Amino acid sequence: MTMPTSRGGSLSVMGTLAAAVVLLVAGVVIAVYEEQLYSTQQVKNVHEQAQILAASVTAAILFDDRRAAQEYVDALTANPELQAAGVYNGFGNMLAGFDRGGKRLPGPVNGAGTVFGQGYVDITVTASQNGADVGTVVLRAVTEPLQRRYARHTGLILLVTMGTLMIAVLSFSQRALARRAQQLSSVNMRLQEEMEERRKTEEALRHSHKMEAVGQLSGGIAHDFNNLIMIVKGNLRLLRRKLGAEVKQVDTYIASADAALDRAANLTQRILAFSRRQPLNPQSVQLSQLAVDIGELIRHSVGEQVEIVTRLNASWSILCDVNQMEHVILNLANNARDAMPEGGRLVIETRDVTLSDPPPDVGAESFIPGQYVALSVLDHGTGMTDDVRRRAVDPFFTTKPQGKGTGLGLSMTFGFVRQSNGYLVIESTLGKGTSIVIFMPRDREAA
Amino acid sequence: MRARLLITSVIACGALELAMALPSRANADPSLEYAVKAAYLTKFIPFIHWPDTAFASAASPVAICVLGNDPFGGKLEQAAASAKAGERAVIVRRVAAPDASCQLVFLGLSNSAAADSAAQALRGKPVVTVTDSGQPERGVISFIIADNHVRFDIDDTMAERGGMSISSKLLGLAHAVKQRGQP
Repeated sequence: MTMPTSRGGSLSVMGTLAAAVVLLVAGVVIAVYEEQLYSTQQVKNVHEQAQILAASVTAAILFDDRRAAQEYVDALTANPELQAAGVYNGFGNMLAGFDRGGKRLPGPVNGAGTVFGQGYVDITVTASQNGADVGTVVLRAVTEPLQRRYARHTGLILLVTMGTLMIAVLSFSQRALARRAQQLSSVNMRLQEEMEERRKTEEALRHSHKMEAVGQLSGGIAHDFNNLIMIVKGNLRLLRRKLGAEVKQVDTYIASADAALDRAANLTQRILAFSRRQPLNPQSVQLSQLAVDIGELIRHSVGEQVEIVTRLNASWSILCDVNQMEHVILNLANNARDAMPEGGRLVIETRDVTLSDPPPDVGAESFIPGQYVALSVLDHGTGMTDDVRRRAVDPFFTTKPQGKGTGLGLSMTFGFVRQSNGYLVIESTLGKGTSIVIFMPRDREAA
Repeated sequence: MRARLLITSVIACGALELAMALPSRANADPSLEYAVKAAYLTKFIPFIHWPDTAFASAASPVAICVLGNDPFGGKLEQAAASAKAGERAVIVRRVAAPDASCQLVFLGLSNSAAADSAAQALRGKPVVTVTDSGQPERGVISFIIADNHVRFDIDDTMAERGGMSISSKLLGLAHAVKQRGQP
């Protein structure tokens, strides 16, 4: 949008420049043409006067009548353009003349013709009677001084100057206008960007609030529900004891109910984990050691099609609930396996990091700079779209087929990590793979 | 042509210049006075227009005739040699009686009666009669001496009667002019 306006601006500047140049050239051409026209006209006029004088003064020349010749010459003094005049007989002797400039006429030596001098022009004409040359007439006319010439062209110069000025002013104002428009458009763009950013922030805030509300609600329900389940479970146990030997007749029913209650308890546990209301038992632990300890379990869990690579470089300890952390790692490994149905390489990595800036997608308001231990689980699987990635930690959100996933795995992980003052970062490229990184704060108490 | 004109007119005009430069001696030296008059006679020609009938043919020369005494002593021939009237040459003839085939007749007659009758004879003819200064007779052109300069009067009425016209340029130089239409 900005490009065309700026190009249009430079184009119009070129155009106005060309117009001004054309105007100037036209003015100069007209002035030169007028000047030449005037000059030739002046010379022609003087030449005609010389011819008239020559024709009328022939008798005076022939009869050497200087007075008569002088009378003819004096008639020319009425013309202010004429600076000097001379009438010469056949021998070049001057019969009559006048001279206002003080300079002497060159005489008839040059013969008939026009000679331009500094500020004057000498015009020599042969006087002849009946075809016989009797003498010569010389007239010296002042050529117009430069000042007078300029004065004569003042009107034109003024007109051209004003035209050029007007074009310049127009082009400048147009350029200013274009610049203003460009500024306006850039400001508008910035405004739109800011609006978009604000919209995203609001969206994130709303989402976070929603999560908070969902977490509180579900956490509350899950907590009460868990107590109810415990009451039912306890009563079932009491019932089994009371029945004694007769229990055999109803044992399968009781066992089935008990199993269902276990599953329900498991579910409420996960919800509690997500809502960060689960009771945690933090212990100082080294993530690298933990990863080694559950290595066999992971291998069994993901199956033979997936190759597991571990790069365990972290040496710092962290403070966390070990059981929950094992759960989290297993869960992430299972997700990675599900992303690679054809098999592939799964990388588990730990390293010590010092964070001064919040990791991607982590709000600055909740971030505390410091030393962290990072645990990454990478796969080279299907990856996620941006939309899926953003919603990945939402409870009950799953891309897995019906009955395969609860949609609580990542939500629970997220809840646990946040409850332990850590951060969860999901990076994913569709078709390339996913990397999930957990940053846990370093346990300063430990060695 | 121009070069020849210049060279040939040097003689005539040289004499003229001399006459003008030494006006007080013009009377004292009659030969100088007549040199001027001889030059004038040839110089009148370009300013006079004769009717075609005045000439035998288109190529006929303009004849200056001297009737009676010749006071010029060869000066007139000198002046005529360089003179030209358009395509026509200028010749000098000496005549004993008024001759209408001449275009210009100088009346060099000391006898007043003879001069008068000669002038009468040429009246109404396309002939310019020229009388000398100091003579009572008047021709179309009459030489006079004014302020020690050789000048001339012109009788344009007489010229008109002869079917001739005289250029206003020449009339403008004349000492006195009898205008056309005057009695």
